[in-house]
Amino acid sequence: MDEPNMTTTLAAPARGSARRIGLLVLLALLCLLPLAINDYLQFVTNTMLVYCLVAVGLNVVMGYLGQLAFASAAFFGIGAYAAGLSMVYMGLSFPVAMVIGTACGGLAGALVGLPALRVRGYYLAIITLAFGELMRWVYVHADTVTFGSGGFNVPAITFFNAHIGDKGKYYLFLATVVIGVGATSLLLRSRFGRAFVAVRNNELAAASLGINVNRTKVIAFAWSGLITGLAGALYAALNGRVTPDTFGISQMLMHFAIVMIGGLGSLAGSIIGAVLLTGLPELLRNFPGLEEIVFSLLLILVLFLMPKGVGGFLAGHIPWLRERLYREGKDA
Amino acid sequence: MFAQLIASGLVNGSVYALVALGMTVLYRSTTIVNFCHGEFFMLGAFAVLIPLQTFGFSYAESIVFSLIFLFLVGGAVEKILMRPLQHAPHISLAMMTIALSYLFKGVSRFFFGREFKPLQPLIQGRPIEIGSVILLPQDLLTVGFSLLIVVGFFFFFQKTQTGKVIQAASQTPRGASLVGINVPMLRNLMWGVGATLGAVAGILIAPTTLVYPDMGAHMLVQAFAAMTLGGFGSLPGAVIGALSLGMLENLIGGYLSSSLVEITSYLAIIAVLIVRPQGIMGEWRQGRG
Repeated sequence: MDEPNMTTTLAAPARGSARRIGLLVLLALLCLLPLAINDYLQFVTNTMLVYCLVAVGLNVVMGYLGQLAFASAAFFGIGAYAAGLSMVYMGLSFPVAMVIGTACGGLAGALVGLPALRVRGYYLAIITLAFGELMRWVYVHADTVTFGSGGFNVPAITFFNAHIGDKGKYYLFLATVVIGVGATSLLLRSRFGRAFVAVRNNELAAASLGINVNRTKVIAFAWSGLITGLAGALYAALNGRVTPDTFGISQMLMHFAIVMIGGLGSLAGSIIGAVLLTGLPELLRNFPGLEEIVFSLLLILVLFLMPKGVGGFLAGHIPWLRERLYREGKDA
Repeated sequence: MFAQLIASGLVNGSVYALVALGMTVLYRSTTIVNFCHGEFFMLGAFAVLIPLQTFGFSYAESIVFSLIFLFLVGGAVEKILMRPLQHAPHISLAMMTIALSYLFKGVSRFFFGREFKPLQPLIQGRPIEIGSVILLPQDLLTVGFSLLIVVGFFFFFQKTQTGKVIQAASQTPRGASLVGINVPMLRNLMWGVGATLGAVAGILIAPTTLVYPDMGAHMLVQAFAAMTLGGFGSLPGAVIGALSLGMLENLIGGYLSSSLVEITSYLAIIAVLIVRPQGIMGEWRQGRG
């Protein structure tokens, strides 16, 4: 690293145009992808897209705000349930349901942000984990509304009365992910995003500069909930079925692992992490146990070799990948 | 009914106490919150089951095997995986324990799939009646063992020279190493001890819950709740928190609704952290340096 003591590295903006062209080429390739892959790989790719959003949502709170919050599985579930149930009960079309799921996720995020004003570190991790498990209990026991532990089927998604298959969903998901990640990236570069990072680096100093720390935290949590809730809505559409067991601790640990592997405070890293950790278990699905073993070995390897995650590792070696407000390793 | 609920609450609570005690010992000596402690618990139960049912060891031999095995596993985890990361941020250490939890779960799932294996009780016998309270011999054994271990631990930490050295090493690691205490060795030892405590709890509870690869996850949450309730990092807090949690669960299950039992620990965590974040006994913090 050339600036060893800086917590925040500001990338030189001159490489902006090269990066923009690179992104456009990538996007064009992604648009052509469904032509090259079969239905199964399409499903896996769609799952990856969903987890890209999840990882970006969690990274806002963990990487940029620097809070150890374990509630993203809960936001994910709330988004999925809100979107799915509004389609079942009100017969809403998927785009509207998606908005409802996103809004509910955002509300839950703001709600979880409140204890974060008081509780921090491991305590915050535990209280948010408890919130997630509480939500799962609600899904099981509020069975008159949520259909209990068996879950429910989400109505098929249509577009002007035409059924949309996995390839169709892919374009919908891709557009959503581009918008979601783009909006997050803009937010992070705005006054709000800089406030997140200021609060992360030093709450007292941030407050002394006139940043409202409490409001900043609630905003970051709400945004995280919003993006993760949106991912939840997509997840409901992807699988066509929502069950309470999906949103337990193992889901949460998966989200945490994706963000850690990708790198805290790196959006590109989050996306890489999501692709890696969603793709890999899928390849090993038919070997019980092996899935977890390979997954854990990958985590251990990254922890040893790339302490800042894949995103941080790449940014250290390829300068134009460096993001603004990139998080240097700082104790949580 | 009240006495019965309290009594069986104490039985559950004493198992939680062993798990929470193991996590607390580790937390104090390394400041790591160990997310794979539930897997130590699960491995402890499997390490009894396999020699006993596959290799025809006696029960006592299997238990000794399991305790030694888990002690070695704990030590190996520290030496191979945690020590190289000792200067890494806390969040990476937490990630490492999560990775380990996946690894152990994966290994046991690789061999046992999603099977639920029964394990015979340590002692058979008819239920024992004490006044209006009815307990199984296995329950009494569980409480007795837990009590013995908890008392032994407090005696060890408060009264013996080695115990005091360990306390010193966890209070100020740097100061302790300056006066010639081998801190890394003690950390290694504490990982072994923590894992063994997990195994004891696993062995004691296995006959009542069955043995399966996912049995640790639930216990981890219970231990978190107990530690939070009693005061994070406090040894007496872990025990008191665990016993209160056990009784609370049973009282809520008995008087309100049995469906509330599974969320008692979550509600306890949320209520305690919002009302009194330092817990019943007050939290413990490592000194500087």
